[in-house]
Amino acid sequence: MDESTIICKCEEINLAEIESAIQSGAHTFDDIKRITRCGMGPCQAKICSSLVREIISQSLEVSLSEIGLPRMRMPLKPTRIAALAGKETSSSVVSVFAESAPKEGDES
Amino acid sequence: MTKQYDVAVIGSGVIGSSIAYHLSESRQKEILVIDQAYPLSGTSGSTQAWVWVHNKTPSWYGELSMLSAELYPFLERKIGDVEYKRTGGIAPFFDESDRQSALRLAEQQAEVGIEIEVLSREQVLEMEPALSPDIVGATYSKIDGNVNPFRLVELYIRAAKKNDVQFSFYNPVIDIRKHKGMFEVTTRKGVFITKQLVLAAGPWSRSVGKFLGLDIPVKQVRGQVLVTEPLAPLIKHTIGGMRQADNGEVLIGYSKEEVGYDRRTTLDIIQDTAKMAVDYLPDLAKANIVRCFAGIRVMPNDGHPIIGPIPTIENAYIAVMHSGITLSPLVGTVMTELFEYRETSIDLEKLRLDRFKEFKISV
Ligand SMILES: Cc1cc2nc3c(=O)[nH]c(=O)nc-3n(C[C@H](O)[C@H](O)[C@H](O)COP(=O)(O)OP(=O)(O)OC[C@H]3O[C@@H](n4cnc5c(N)ncnc54)[C@H](O)[C@@H]3O)c2cc1C
Ligand code: FES
Repeated sequence: MDESTIICKCEEINLAEIESAIQSGAHTFDDIKRITRCGMGPCQAKICSSLVREIISQSLEVSLSEIGLPRMRMPLKPTRIAALAGKETSSSVVSVFAESAPKEGDES
Repeated sequence: MTKQYDVAVIGSGVIGSSIAYHLSESRQKEILVIDQAYPLSGTSGSTQAWVWVHNKTPSWYGELSMLSAELYPFLERKIGDVEYKRTGGIAPFFDESDRQSALRLAEQQAEVGIEIEVLSREQVLEMEPALSPDIVGATYSKIDGNVNPFRLVELYIRAAKKNDVQFSFYNPVIDIRKHKGMFEVTTRKGVFITKQLVLAAGPWSRSVGKFLGLDIPVKQVRGQVLVTEPLAPLIKHTIGGMRQADNGEVLIGYSKEEVGYDRRTTLDIIQDTAKMAVDYLPDLAKANIVRCFAGIRVMPNDGHPIIGPIPTIENAYIAVMHSGITLSPLVGTVMTELFEYRETSIDLEKLRLDRFKEFKISV
């Protein structure tokens, strides 16, 4: 493995980028993810997570078991929006326009 | 001997990092930023990151957002490419009766110089052909846009480090005391002494405020966002509810739930958000969602930013707000004015902490 070895295939992030994130202070998979995008691709870190955790473990000289796993998020594999779009609505999803538009008689 | 700092900032999200960077530009102060985790682990790393202005009301709040949006191009020249794009913003409506309030909004915002056009269906569809023909109109302004929040925070920090700001990460603040005019900030990794203190702890502001005996009146409001696979260019503008990032991903979401600091994503909101996506952009039905995330908005009880000195404690300051991505260039700038000249180019009166009656009771 050298500096240009691709660690995250989906987002094309190489070893040097991971190491530089660790050097600037990132210690967990999720912290490295936000800085480099490593793990944000279609496989959702299934391919890269163990490799990245090994790199963290080696660079920081801590055991693998101390390095947290990435947070798993729905959906676990890519899912079509049409399949997710339910029929009912909920009051928690609001329209940007409706929220800001002044109502009749509102003070400005 | 323990090193003494001129300023310690608690929190390295977009707000704390921006303040530290702007303060460091004159290189006159020893500055320390402390974060319990790593930057972007808070709200600034789980945000839509619109630089959104046009329908922020009341209009003085819209004006603040506009002034901040106007600073972005200058900021980029100083700290580097944060992928700021002034795409123009469209907030669609689906009911003809909304046109009247849209026109009133345009009139109010014009008074502070925010230019809004109220578009017909044809005009909307001409600008964004992918939008649903069920839309009857929209408000539109050129000033809105979006930014890459990861790049933004990273580059604030990089620029601050270049100006010798010190950062201490993975280091929670666990107590604060004032002793002989100096603050003693106790952290997991030791005690730091500082003359001035800035609270920029985002959704944790309440618990950090308690160290100083303050009751900071903010709520935590969860928002969930869906991210598609990278798609061919679909929308050019920032649309109230969604935007397309440089890499083709579309970020969709505008949900609000008060569930405390709980960053789980839930199927009901994901489904409702997917439905909203298709209502706005029918073509999205065919797109795949690759991931979802949730972030916790920090919402002052009256919805408006809290920025400025803490009235009861000399040399202590606070900056906490929703829409911190939009406002961060302005917040960094005015806080620096406050520290260096004791007065600011915009009036901070409406943003004071003691406007809240809750605050008056607690002191
Ligand atoms: C779903 C969603 C969508 C949004 N969309 C937009 C948008 O489109 N446009 C926009 O402008 N804004 C948007 N926002 C709001 C915006 O993201 C926030 O206003 C902004 O990120 C707040 O930044 P912050 O620095 O105050 O908080 P944070 O980023 O949370 O930073 C606070 C920091 O303080 C640290 N901290 C806390 N307690 C301690 C302690 N005891 N010791 C040490 N460190 C501590 C934390 O670790 C954290 O890093 C959105 C928010 C959400 C949730
Ligand atoms: S290989 Fe890293 S996200 Fe797929």
